[in-house]
Amino acid sequence: MIEKNENPVTEAAPVAEAAAPAPKADEVLRVEHLKKYFPIATDFFGRPTAFLRAVDDISFTLERGKTIGIVGESGCGKTTLGRTILKLHEITGGEIYFEGTNITNLGRSAMKKYRTSMQLIFQDPYSSLSPRMTVGNIIGEAVRQHKIVPKDEVHDYVLDIMQKCGLRPQFYDRYPHEFSGGQRQRICIARALAVKPKLVICDEPVSALDVSIQAQIINLLKELQNKMGLTYIFISHDLSVVKYITDRIMVMYLGNMMEMGDTERIFANPLHPYTVALFSAVPVPDPDVKMNRIILEGDIPSPANPPSGCKFHTRCSKCMGVCAAKAPRYVEVEADHFVACHLYDGEIMEHPDDYDLSPLTVADAAEGAGEDNE
Amino acid sequence: MKQKGNYLSIKDSREIIRYNIKQMKYYEAEKRKPRTLAEYTAPMKDNNNLIEIDSLKTCFFTDNGTVMSVNGVSFDIPKCKIVGVVGESGCGKSVTSLTIMQLVQAPQGQVVEGQIRFNSGDLGQTEDGRDIAYDIAKTPTAEMYRIRGKDITMIFQEPMTSLNPVFTIGYQLDEVSYLHSPGISPEDAKAHSIEMLKKVGISMPEHTYSRYPHELSGGMRQRVMIAMALAGDPKLIIADEPTTALDVTIQAQILELLKDLQRKQGCSIMLITHDLGVIAEMADEVVVMYAGRVIEKGTAHDIFHNPLHPYTIGLQKSKPMINSNVNEPLYSIPGQVPNPINLPNTCYFKSRCSKCIGKCSGEYPGGVQVSDTHWVSCYLYEEKADTK
Repeated sequence: MIEKNENPVTEAAPVAEAAAPAPKADEVLRVEHLKKYFPIATDFFGRPTAFLRAVDDISFTLERGKTIGIVGESGCGKTTLGRTILKLHEITGGEIYFEGTNITNLGRSAMKKYRTSMQLIFQDPYSSLSPRMTVGNIIGEAVRQHKIVPKDEVHDYVLDIMQKCGLRPQFYDRYPHEFSGGQRQRICIARALAVKPKLVICDEPVSALDVSIQAQIINLLKELQNKMGLTYIFISHDLSVVKYITDRIMVMYLGNMMEMGDTERIFANPLHPYTVALFSAVPVPDPDVKMNRIILEGDIPSPANPPSGCKFHTRCSKCMGVCAAKAPRYVEVEADHFVACHLYDGEIMEHPDDYDLSPLTVADAAEGAGEDNE
Repeated sequence: MKQKGNYLSIKDSREIIRYNIKQMKYYEAEKRKPRTLAEYTAPMKDNNNLIEIDSLKTCFFTDNGTVMSVNGVSFDIPKCKIVGVVGESGCGKSVTSLTIMQLVQAPQGQVVEGQIRFNSGDLGQTEDGRDIAYDIAKTPTAEMYRIRGKDITMIFQEPMTSLNPVFTIGYQLDEVSYLHSPGISPEDAKAHSIEMLKKVGISMPEHTYSRYPHELSGGMRQRVMIAMALAGDPKLIIADEPTTALDVTIQAQILELLKDLQRKQGCSIMLITHDLGVIAEMADEVVVMYAGRVIEKGTAHDIFHNPLHPYTIGLQKSKPMINSNVNEPLYSIPGQVPNPINLPNTCYFKSRCSKCIGKCSGEYPGGVQVSDTHWVSCYLYEEKADTK
């Protein structure tokens, strides 16, 4: 960071440009301006006329052995982001680098090489396991397909993985319906880890589980990360879990990144009004703690018809005139702490004559958005 | 009925089915018998309570054996208070609430034992000044129709599935008025419904009145559900995981609304959830359930600042908190919730408990009243109470 800059709000280029083009040695994943639009309306000839911007211009880098948490409310595009990184969705724009290789335009067969390096753990362990396959087959299927170990060693290899994930060897021949939710999630984890992945995308792995089982699975994920040097992308809406397991956090709202940075720092000093509201909405299990709760008015706008300018301005308590007109840039407020909000953009805050900084009430903003919707 | 391993033999299976049919026939016949008012009413223990649940047992006769979903549950819901019921899935918290509403799936599910005394306040008093209350466990269905949806209402977990998609919001809200105030004019019913929608903070109530459920967002639908629950001016609202399907920011809105309405209307709320944070924020009194039994109950202060039962302590420790230390591994309770079929007559938490003592292999522990408000069912405290 350059010292001569007097302004505490240091301006910085967008995240992707900040990252050096040459890959660092320990960089596993770099995502640049990733976009995923789903067509929602087509004209007479089947050409798309309107898009749902599920993921809109997301950039981040991820180092080996680290965990990035993606948080946000339902419909903010966090699951789509995870799936797009795995190329389970066609990419609309932007680039994905895996260990320095651009995998954005790789075809099906070329991609197969990378499939084993990136794995996904699904949210619902009840529907993501085939009821007709035994546990051994479920875990061993990909191992055989990708020839991870020689054919005659598969059985022992699977047992070894099962043991690592806390599953007993006698479970090998059982079917998924015989297990409880926590055990099934362990099977899902074992299946993902069996192909020796480098990057694991955990899509809400604990939200379908009970509190006491949740703790077991979180501990298991952390332990495996330490043992095997895994890199996680942890998608969740439960902020307390995210705080516990991640090194960095990205807060998403309607497909846009709102704030990104070091977990400790974001929790200690949330800057974006949405992050502040999100954190204050988490109930604390202590009857004496009376939190100064910021209650967001209204609902999340439809992603098919998002508000103009800053997408959060319809619910923001600190909304200004400029927010409805202009989309905010990513500003690096402190080292490795990015926020997309006009309040922290030095250029806008220091030129009150050029921009409309008059406060806009939530009701005004919502009314404006309401008219758009009609 | 002995089980070998995980599987039932055909002989056992037939035996279970025969037993189940016999039991179900018996309880259904009991229900059909005409009852006099005296048979399904009972005096309250304390007039300040709205509901007194007394050693309630609800069981389900399944093909794998009898599941005691609610096994001797007793607790009270005082007037104008929020009582929180916490527990993991399958601990019987939802079945308890369904039993209060008499909505348990029959004939498989039956109330076998116990009383639920509901103080409706319109049945007069006994000679010694105690209110006479309905015993919901025995109240005939016809009588129950008048209580259900008016005096006791329910907010379900899934706002998406608990509204009927083929009727407008207005139609579904008006229904409550038509059922519970017979002879009401359509204009009055509509006015009442719109007033209710206004009360729950819906910005354009007239507009929402004529909409269909799919046109509303999750938070709005849950607000409509709350409006519906409030329409009959209830004495008790049972909120069964009202915010589990919602986002945190919407959850904060709904909880705030529920608290506000409870204060204004002066009704009681039975709040069922697995989220300790929600309970801490909302509840005055807390009941902790495990495998169909109440293991600890007390005020919110008792439960959160002085938890006694090892399960309650473990549950609180295993919940990651926003201000907790990240570097230590998270505490987790080993093992799983036991299979609810044929539970042994010992403490159900024994195999997962770290503070097990010799006495624990004996019978299921009775309760110990630790303080005026705090009750726990664990041998650890029984001994301490004895020595004092």
